Amino acid sequence: MPVYLPIAEMSVDALLLLGIGLGVGWLSGLFGVGGGFLLTPLLILIGIPAPVAVASGANQTLGASVSGLIAQWRRGNVDARMGCVLLVAGLAGSAAGTQLFVLLKRLGQIDLAVSLFYVVVLGTVGALMVRESLRAIMRRRRALPARTHQHSWLHGLPLKMRFRQSRLYISIIPPAMIGFGIGVLSAIMGVGGGFMLVPAMIYLLGMPTTTTIGTSLFQVTFVSANVTLLQALQTGSVDIVLTLLLLTGGVAGAQFGAAMGTKLRGEETRALLGLLVLLVAAGLLVDLLRTPASLYLMGPAT
Amino acid sequence: MILLRATFLALSLAAPFALAPAALAQREPPPAAPPFAGPALAAELGQDRIAVDTSFSGADLLIFGATERLLGPAGDNVVVLGLGPPRDVVVRRRVRWLGLWVNGPAARFQEVPNYYAVAATAPVAGLLEEPARRERRLGLDVLTARLPGPRDPRFRTALIDLKRASRLWNEEESPVEISGGRLFHARLPLPSTIATGDYIVQVLLVRGNRVVARQELPFRVDRVGATARIADVARRLPLAYGLACIALAAFAGWLGSVIFRRS
Repeated sequence: MPVYLPIAEMSVDALLLLGIGLGVGWLSGLFGVGGGFLLTPLLILIGIPAPVAVASGANQTLGASVSGLIAQWRRGNVDARMGCVLLVAGLAGSAAGTQLFVLLKRLGQIDLAVSLFYVVVLGTVGALMVRESLRAIMRRRRALPARTHQHSWLHGLPLKMRFRQSRLYISIIPPAMIGFGIGVLSAIMGVGGGFMLVPAMIYLLGMPTTTTIGTSLFQVTFVSANVTLLQALQTGSVDIVLTLLLLTGGVAGAQFGAAMGTKLRGEETRALLGLLVLLVAAGLLVDLLRTPASLYLMGPAT
Repeated sequence: MILLRATFLALSLAAPFALAPAALAQREPPPAAPPFAGPALAAELGQDRIAVDTSFSGADLLIFGATERLLGPAGDNVVVLGLGPPRDVVVRRRVRWLGLWVNGPAARFQEVPNYYAVAATAPVAGLLEEPARRERRLGLDVLTARLPGPRDPRFRTALIDLKRASRLWNEEESPVEISGGRLFHARLPLPSTIATGDYIVQVLLVRGNRVVARQELPFRVDRVGATARIADVARRLPLAYGLACIALAAFAGWLGSVIFRRS
């Protein structure tokens, strides 16, 4: 069933888009990530022009995150106060990241920079998550008591704030730094940043897995809304028909994913997300190393 | 003789109103032209507007017409050339750097036809001499050789390969069909990725290595219906469009969480 996309100016199979939406939405609900790091490469793979894939991917991420956010909110898994701290810092970070993007583009090799960013960031995050969650699973098997909380220098910083839902009383400086850093990375990589945010909240802030997922969806919702608006204004490459087709599959998937996520243990969820992130990193690395089928590529002159 | 006169009469009568652009044809009278002879070539498009709507998945453009003399191996030949609006294109070569494949040198070509198609009643290379083919841009080799841009032939070959792979350029994929000796028709394939804009089809009548008549038939590729409205709003009111995209996506997400509520 072909459908013509008005902004991408091409015709695609609607069922294929519904399927991609369903799969990415399911992961989004399960892991609390927007799924942008999977969706954008997939759309480019089926022939959607890269700018349209990035912009419409952000728009679809927004819809899927709202869906997941509502599901998590009902379960009381959203720490809105932590979300706001992350969000304000994240918006500042993405503004800075956009400037860095422009600078890299002027130097040439923006494609290489983006690919290397993906491989390094996804590879590091994925490896850390898999290692930690495997340790946690082993510890549980040996029936050792889990360490709940470690006190480090992070807890000695000023500007302390109580985050009731996360059962934390910490300075707002570490979350603000994390939000800013992920904002920079997400602007360069064209993703919401949920896959980096979830592990950062768990390992760096010591938040419980249940609230990290809802809180990450909170942040991703607003960051992707910001990206959608900026893309519509600056590049005009948001394709609403593409977005709505992806979302039709995506919202259904997100609900099933969220329901399934509550059945899995936190460390199992983290291990699976870590493996998925590692898989995408490996795929992108293979792409960089393998001899391409065509040594040439074509694009419109800018 | 009566039959012949009737054919010519029908052609010359039909030409002024049914085949309106026939007046554009540059006719070159044959040595012993009868005084009532019709145009040497009369061609028309099946449609002068390709409508791109939500269900558009590519189209075939029909070109049909008639000639004064017999078509075929022993007689005249017809060449059909379709051209899209020109664009500037950059072709990049990937090179290996520290084991990684990265974008290397780039070549910028100017005024590259966004769409290109050639069809003929016989292979074009055998119909016209090289200079004539080059002048009329008949063949991807002579088309790219004339494009302003760097001289490196590898980039030109790569441009042809990439454009052919995207189905936007094609060369003598299917011939111009002849029926009844003087009637011809051809179909030029338009892929779903075709850009909107003004296109032109040139129909050439070839006799003895020379182009003796020529007709230019313009057509447009336009978005229509919902497709046209969406593209129009996105271009003219980007802020409203962006806000609408956010609202629609958020609404779809909320709707999904209501429909699929499982608790």
